Amino acid sequence: MPELSAITGAFGDALTLHSISVILGGVLLGYLVGVIPGLNRSVAIAIAIPLTFYMSAYAAIAFLIGLSKGTAAGSAVSAILLNTPGEPSSAATCLDGYPMAKNGQPRKALKVGLLASVIGDLLSTLLLIAVVIPFASVALKFGPYELAAILIFALVFIAGMAGGSFLKGMAAGGMGVILGTVGLDPETGAMRLTFGFAELMEGVPILPLVIGTLALSEMFVQLDEYRRTKGGSSVRLGHNPDDDLSYGEFKKTLPTIFKSTGVGAFVGALPGLGPSVGSFMAYGLAKRGSKDPHSFGKGNPNGIAAAEAADNAVIPASYIPLFGLGIPGSVSAALLVGAFMIHGIQVGPLMLRDHPQMLFTIFAGMVVASLLMLAVGWYGLRIFAKVTNVPQNIVIPVVIFLCLAGIQVQGYGTFGLLTVFGFAIFGYFLKKHDYSFVTFLVAFIVTPMLEMNLRQSVILSGGEISILLQRPIALFFVVATVLMMLHLAWSSYRTYRQRRSVSL
Amino acid sequence: MKKTLLSTAILSAALAVGMSTVQASDFPNKPLTLVVGFGAGGSTDIQARVLANVLEDELGQPVNVVNQPGAGGGIALTRLANNSDEGYTFAFGTSMTITYGPLATETAYQLDDFRYVAGVTLGQSAIVTGEDRPFGDSWESLVEFARENPGTSYATQTALDRMIIEYISQKEGLDLRIVPTAGGAGMAPLILSGDVDFAYSGGTHSGYAESGEMPVLLSLAEERLVAFPDAPSMQEAGYDINPAEIRVVMVPKNTPDAHVERLAEALEAATQDERFIEITEERILMPVVYLSEDEVTQTLTEQTESYKALIEELGGVPGANE
Repeated sequence: MPELSAITGAFGDALTLHSISVILGGVLLGYLVGVIPGLNRSVAIAIAIPLTFYMSAYAAIAFLIGLSKGTAAGSAVSAILLNTPGEPSSAATCLDGYPMAKNGQPRKALKVGLLASVIGDLLSTLLLIAVVIPFASVALKFGPYELAAILIFALVFIAGMAGGSFLKGMAAGGMGVILGTVGLDPETGAMRLTFGFAELMEGVPILPLVIGTLALSEMFVQLDEYRRTKGGSSVRLGHNPDDDLSYGEFKKTLPTIFKSTGVGAFVGALPGLGPSVGSFMAYGLAKRGSKDPHSFGKGNPNGIAAAEAADNAVIPASYIPLFGLGIPGSVSAALLVGAFMIHGIQVGPLMLRDHPQMLFTIFAGMVVASLLMLAVGWYGLRIFAKVTNVPQNIVIPVVIFLCLAGIQVQGYGTFGLLTVFGFAIFGYFLKKHDYSFVTFLVAFIVTPMLEMNLRQSVILSGGEISILLQRPIALFFVVATVLMMLHLAWSSYRTYRQRRSVSL
Repeated sequence: MKKTLLSTAILSAALAVGMSTVQASDFPNKPLTLVVGFGAGGSTDIQARVLANVLEDELGQPVNVVNQPGAGGGIALTRLANNSDEGYTFAFGTSMTITYGPLATETAYQLDDFRYVAGVTLGQSAIVTGEDRPFGDSWESLVEFARENPGTSYATQTALDRMIIEYISQKEGLDLRIVPTAGGAGMAPLILSGDVDFAYSGGTHSGYAESGEMPVLLSLAEERLVAFPDAPSMQEAGYDINPAEIRVVMVPKNTPDAHVERLAEALEAATQDERFIEITEERILMPVVYLSEDEVTQTLTEQTESYKALIEELGGVPGANE
């Protein structure tokens, strides 16, 4: 168990002026990105990773976490004022946020959204801290058999849960696995899939892959949409005397906020589900549980509260499998793994033993970020409302420039630029045809770890599958994986049959 | 934040315009890259990060650490051999990658593809085990145990330690299961959890010196290890190999003399720096030295010859045809 001094020390580290300003920078930038329609969390983190190269490891991670949290809160602003969610997970916020703003209460809507965001985020962060430390100390005892089995299970689970068809999920995961095996064979040193490029010897470089598939391809998608839809009509913050949030009104949304935080945290802790599922699920539950379900969709503050609390609660909870097992369950968690790797830290249960101070400081930093989010959102309301008016024809070229600059600064050269474009086209294809990003990215990131553990298991056991009988945890996950695959295959076969019978 | 974005943009524009026309005299005038051929978190990596900090002060430019793990450091050197940025990218690693690597696998580099700017640390690699093993913590009893228990497992990290263990098992008549791991950070959990019986360690074991969780069985340096004087050296255990290892900074062969000299100067200063001495001698428990380019080159050449002879004796490179 961690010592008390480590925890107080961590808060001391997280509360220095330097670290507060780094987190504040992350939250502010995240807020801005969240407010600008079309820019989402993945884009923000992908293009911010190169910026963090020159920071210390802690500052870099704190910055990225602040950024990640900021986008979740910021995206509510454009959902409420523009009826355009800053990212998909805020789509549920539009349902009641925009009507409320239209009715002359934009400020009230924004404040409900903000408070729900902050509470959801803070509670989920505390849950993460409470759960992950005992969890990681158990996970430390896992050997190659357990890790291999859990990683395979996580991959199949993510492929199945990430939405869309199971086959598409498996295909996206398969692509990730193939790209993850590029490079030298860890045992024999033989070249694999490098096609003679020395640049590929140590594997596909993560930065061009991430920036290409997440950020640049998103800009292509936005360009596509920009041609079709032009401009939005933003609701302006007026001087309506009725437009402020009273304590009484806020108190009425509290039960919804707590319930939705629970939903969000649960969804977040399961790898692969993501904030969109969380916010819609919480919204649905709030509506069903309400005495007046008909007021939902017409500007009910509880609708905003449900969507925002859940949306924000998903993120810290999605770090439970990340810090506990080393399995990134979401796109932003996968990106954090990349950032950690760049700074020489292996994410997972080993962090608790090798870098306990770092882990606690990150946790403390997350709490600080929640509080800063409240301050930034509360006092920046008016300014962020204006940012919703930044036109896409400014946003898109700036982001494209930043993507390419990020690659260039890191010295990937021409090869890096070509790789970025290649992955941008690949990512565009994934998006257009609804292949799961999470599955692809997580598969790419965990493949080297999975391969190593699998090989070790095979060699250590001499290929005897009966070893699993002495390894109950590994056996459990192997059986669970098989059942999961059968279930997913069966349910996608059923949808296929249903669809066919409908079209006949 | 905007400032950072802006400076990134300007920096990238400058790079794009072309920084290849750098003058030799003002080296270094842009950020440098220190490549580590091993995974993050291992002893080489920890040391390299401190070294980078010290060099940053000595050279007046940022020094970024980049991990390019794989093939026992070989991947990083393959890339380095093809690098033409005149000393702005340099590798910090262990000498075996260069002495044994090209003999063991088909590498795209050879001993004379690099200049060895300076050796700064004497390696303390070892064969280690975990606590409470049935064979205790002495090399002799391990050998006895492994002879009676075919399938005793050994975690390997590099081609060289793979050859050493094959040589030993041939000599002692052992039948081992040899498991690959990536760096010290990959090996440690396997030893600590008891999944693997014994393992090669490049220096990770020093982190467990006080707690005693990772007893050292055999020293793979020329002498006994500084921090673990109870374990015999290879020679003492009756094996005629000297796998002594030097931690060395390397640049491609075509690096201008002036740049190599400037780097060597900074490295010599680094070996006097408190921070570098502290991390090396107190944390990873290896002696700090300063070996000039000539000394390092000569040692490496001699070692390469002796490994060649050993491979011949073994009838080929172990593990290559599996």
